[in-house]
Amino acid sequence: MIGTMTLDFSTMAPYWTWFVEGAITTVWLTAVTVIAGTVIGFLATIMKRSRIKPINWIANIYTSVIRGTPILLQLYIVAFGLPSLGIKIPDIMGIPRSSMYLSCIIALSLNSGAYICEIFRAGLNAVDAGQAEAARSLGLNSKQTMRLIILPQAVKTVLPSLVNEFIMMIKETSLVSTLGLGDVMYTQKIIQGSTYRIFEPYIIIAIIYLALTTVLTFISGKIERKMNTDA
Amino acid sequence: MLKTVDLHKTYGKLEVLKGITTEIHTGEVVAIIGPSGSGKSTFLRCLNLLEEPTKGEVIFKDQNLTTKVDKDFDLNKVREHIGMVFQHFNLFPHKTVIENIMLAPIKVKGLSKEQAHDRALELLKKVGLEDKKDVYPNKLSGGQKQRVAIARALAMQPDVMLFDEPTSALDPEMVKEVLLVIQDLAKSGMTTVIVTHEMGFAKEIASRVMFIDQGIILEEGTPDEVFNHPKHERTKEFFDKVMY
Repeated sequence: MIGTMTLDFSTMAPYWTWFVEGAITTVWLTAVTVIAGTVIGFLATIMKRSRIKPINWIANIYTSVIRGTPILLQLYIVAFGLPSLGIKIPDIMGIPRSSMYLSCIIALSLNSGAYICEIFRAGLNAVDAGQAEAARSLGLNSKQTMRLIILPQAVKTVLPSLVNEFIMMIKETSLVSTLGLGDVMYTQKIIQGSTYRIFEPYIIIAIIYLALTTVLTFISGKIERKMNTDA
Repeated sequence: MLKTVDLHKTYGKLEVLKGITTEIHTGEVVAIIGPSGSGKSTFLRCLNLLEEPTKGEVIFKDQNLTTKVDKDFDLNKVREHIGMVFQHFNLFPHKTVIENIMLAPIKVKGLSKEQAHDRALELLKKVGLEDKKDVYPNKLSGGQKQRVAIARALAMQPDVMLFDEPTSALDPEMVKEVLLVIQDLAKSGMTTVIVTHEMGFAKEIASRVMFIDQGIILEEGTPDEVFNHPKHERTKEFFDKVMY
């Protein structure tokens, strides 16, 4: 038939290392993002619980802006918007393109941090108020109450949601391919360039994403079940 | 031992406590009764400042807990000496029964693990639950949970015990086992303040009954005075409704 192509995956065989390299980039990019996002989210949670109003406001504005705007826009603002104002993120130790990677990591981490802040907030709120009351009535101070009573219980709701955030981020990082970073999504562009095959790389990339997220979903399920059996 | 002066508590526009002045003496067993929403629980929770009074004073052993001027006292230090038992038990679900009891003596009083363990075990024996020491709270019945909660509060060796409707969340067949523990405690001379809907129990164990209605102590006295010879119409009405 004219104008159609038959699928031929054997054309992809010579390029399998490219897919692997792309997948590795996707995984480490996600890991760095979620780890940095967890730190940012933790700080934002503390800020939101602060007694000083302006600190609350800063944290609230941060989460509202991030959650209310598209992640692609946030990426472009950090990668292109800020440099146009003269705020340039330098290459690290002269590694080529590392400045672009760093920009993406900053944008994605800030994005992830806002969602993780909400995860922490929900986790803390899920602990019954009576728990803190019981602890305080026994003479524990507010720090001991948080560390010994509230946090261990909040972790239970937080951990599965954090893994879920990891799953979301695996998919979200595909946006960096629009900035020319070599994640697994970007593999499509370079393979299409050399083979003129369009559809096969898409399918393989889809399978890679699905494999990654499935593994994480499995881990998440394990954690959740473990948490539920542990009293 | 524990005194309140003109205690007020307001939530937004709602005035829950409208000036309560009273004193709880060492060895007294005070039962607080009254209609729902009358402010009994709020009053009790003001005694260890789980609720901060809007106005008025709480004085524990000559220490004013409510003065804003003199904040150099440590509220946590005071709370060690005021045990509290809640309607919904509030056991720590991530800790075993014995860990629940040992936690505060170790972290607050600085007891060694061994000391805290011995004390906890002794208290568990007292409430009849030594065989449950290593289980998690979710494996216990409501009555058992509440007995553990009592043991947990007692482990701090408080000077006074506050009970906030300790049997209201229990299945009927579990009420008695908890009341018996409280009764033992009261008879042993522990200063006790209990908010309760168990009129029979209040009558039986209280040295003083306090009827709180609409944010004030409407009347108080011995169980005989309050239950058998109430002075106020509202008190009579209340008894008419709850006793049959």
